Amino acid sequence: MAIKYYWEDLTAGRVFETATRALSEEDIVRFAREYDPQSYHTDAEAARSTPFGGLIASGWQTCSVTMRLMCDGYLLETSCVGSPGLEELRWLKPVRPGDALRLKTTVIESTPSSKQPNRGTVLFLWETLNQRGEVVLSMRGRQLFLRRAPA
Amino acid sequence: MYKYYWEDFYPGQVLEAGGISLSEDEIIEFAKKYDPQPFHTDREKAKQSIFGGLIASGWQTAGICMRLLCDLYLLEAASLGSPGVDELRWVKPVRPGDTLRLKSTVLETRASGSRPDMGTVRSRSEVYNQHGELVMHMSGVGMFRRREPAK
Repeated sequence: MAIKYYWEDLTAGRVFETATRALSEEDIVRFAREYDPQSYHTDAEAARSTPFGGLIASGWQTCSVTMRLMCDGYLLETSCVGSPGLEELRWLKPVRPGDALRLKTTVIESTPSSKQPNRGTVLFLWETLNQRGEVVLSMRGRQLFLRRAPA
Repeated sequence: MYKYYWEDFYPGQVLEAGGISLSEDEIIEFAKKYDPQPFHTDREKAKQSIFGGLIASGWQTAGICMRLLCDLYLLEAASLGSPGVDELRWVKPVRPGDTLRLKSTVLETRASGSRPDMGTVRSRSEVYNQHGELVMHMSGVGMFRRREPAK
């Protein structure tokens, strides 16, 4: 895919919105069996008697779906060369079978690299919303991008 | 009924688990679904990238960290979920064939101010590869039921 956005294009205040992606019960159980086999993620029957009152997605699956939304929303068209990590990750509401998630990405700050003249860092706020417009996940973290023109 | 309630965690407590290996097929399968950047999905393109070869999605590493936490104590704990994670860092790439292990250290335990039957535990989880190199770390909070409600 052609690169549309370089570091210079990701300026503070810029917002990217995505289409939605739905999560089925089967998706939730399959992910959880492999990565997070707590009963409220793997067993609809057992999940009913937990504080969640029913099956919910692993928070790490919500993160992974958010990553996919990010890829489809803007990242695959950027010069991204990875991420050092996140400052903060919050699971604000459970994600349940049938929920349709979308992502709102806001650029908070963009910083040129002091060591590498061909790169820069961007600090983002990522908010994942369900079909009722409720924020289910929020993350603040950084991604690294190549510059269109070196400093 | 459970092995670990909130009272069973104490600052300085260290729990270790290992190891889960990741194959090239597993890396590509996860990435095609959740993180289709070419350095996660395409061996040839990955060679041309700054990583010099295929690497696992950071979210897959986080998922494996979660699985190791589950196997280590979470599945035997009166867990009530997690509000989130701080300072998640992907320190080194994870490559096909790597075997990951976990070291989790309890940093702090706190009784809930509003719920006498619950408390929180903050711990630092560190994921290492087979060379003993730190590949990921994060500081997360877990909520646990108490053995005895606070008076």
